[in-house]
This record gives sequence, structure tokens and C-alpha cells, in this order.
Amino acid sequence: MDIMPALDSTASALQAEKTRLDIIGMNIANANTTRGPDGQPYSRQMVSFEAALLDAGTTIDGEKIQIQGVKIRDIQSDQTPGPLIFNPGHPDADDQGMVRLPNVNLTHEMVDMITASRSYEANLQVVKTAKQMAEQAIMISKK
Amino acid sequence: MLDQVFERENYVVMKKMLDVAHRKHQAIAGNLANVETPGYKRQDIRADFASELQRAAKVNNVEAIQKLDASMELDLKSPAVRPDGNNVQIDKELLEMTKNATEYRFLSQYASTSLGRLKTAITGRVS
Repeated sequence: MDIMPALDSTASALQAEKTRLDIIGMNIANANTTRGPDGQPYSRQMVSFEAALLDAGTTIDGEKIQIQGVKIRDIQSDQTPGPLIFNPGHPDADDQGMVRLPNVNLTHEMVDMITASRSYEANLQVVKTAKQMAEQAIMISKK
Repeated sequence: MLDQVFERENYVVMKKMLDVAHRKHQAIAGNLANVETPGYKRQDIRADFASELQRAAKVNNVEAIQKLDASMELDLKSPAVRPDGNNVQIDKELLEMTKNATEYRFLSQYASTSLGRLKTAITGRVS
């Protein structure tokens, strides 16, 4: 039993949300990338989460407790084709003068970013509370 | 001789509740970590725990209180808030966490004052 409760789950969540923010940043940075290393326009990356059992064996007074964290299950690319625009002067234009843009939707990414940062804040609040609880537990003997 | 003091039901209940509050924080942390995990079901301290504790405390059954089962269970009753079946409501969890932390503060203060009273009884001085 740790003095500060549930640090592991919260740490895993902070890590996962940070990765999610990284990916969103990557999507926004590449919102206009029409040619990647494979010659194709950039395709949006999506993060999916999965609950992870961090410690199933911990016991307190003989009772088993399950500590659940979160981990990134997969980072997938969104396969929907991006918009096709007519721009014959563009270096990546095809024979008909059409350019395929990345399928990144900035509005979508912004909303996702706010959600991710709010989840991050919620988890930070959990750490703060855990710290206060630990301090109070220590103060029991100091009176 | 002091054992008898520490085996009184108020001490036993206090210890049990401190442990439970600690564990409840773990459950809430797990829930908040998984706010966006598809299909995740929230976990909590067993729903029957509070009523069982109340029943045991009413008849001053110290041993029963010590042995009360306060394990975690999955909450399958709360309605899903996401189409994938996840039933964690972030605001509700944060509220529960604040409530739980306040409870913990109350309990730790209670522990401090109880021990302080004991000290006063032993030394005869008000510290």
C-alpha cells in the first residue's frame, strides 16, 4: 500500500493523454502536407485507449484490489480520402491539375485537443488530491 | 492496557474508513484515467459496504467491522455516457473525489484529536 494512493494509474493516464496531444499536434502540423515519405498526402493519425490492469495482486488486509490504468492500444491512420482541389501550379498536382489534400480536419483536431487537455487536467487534480491525503495521513502523528 | 483503548469501536471504524477512503481514491483515479477508454466500466467500493458498516457499528460489533469486505466492484448500473459503453462521467468522478478527500481530512483530524486526548490523559497536560 503506497502512501499516495493511485499514483500509477494517474501517471499512465497523464502519459496517454500526452501522447494523444502529441498526435494531435502532429496532425495539425501536417494539415497541408501533400507529400509524405511514401509520396502520398499525409493521413490523419488516431489514438485509441485501452484499460490496463497495472497491479492485480495488491492486497490490503487480505482483500485483493485491482488497480487500473490506461494505455495506448493503437495509433491508426484515418483512411478516408482527403479533399481533391484543382491547382495546376502545385508541384504535387496530377495530370488533370488536381491535388489531393490531407484528410486532417482542423476543427475536429481542435475539439480533440480541448478534450485531451481537459482529461489531462482532471488527472492532475487526482494527483493533487492524493498528495493532500498523504500529507494529512502524515500529520496524524504530529499533534 | 492501551490495547483496550485502540480496540474500541471508534478507533476501529476510523481505521477502516481511512483505508476505504484511500482505496476509493484509487478507484476514482482508475476511472478518471479511463475517461476515454472504449467500453470501460467504472469501478467503485462495493455498494453494500456502507449499509453493512452501519449495521455492524450500530451493535458495536468490533470484529465484524474489522472483517468487513470493502473490495472494489464494477459499476454496471450507471448509464453509458458514450456510444461505446463507457460509463465514466468526468464531473461526477471529480465531485466524488473531492467528497472523498474531505472525508479523509475529517477522519485524519479525528484521529489526531483522539490521539491528542489520549496524550492529555497520560501526561495530564493540554498540549
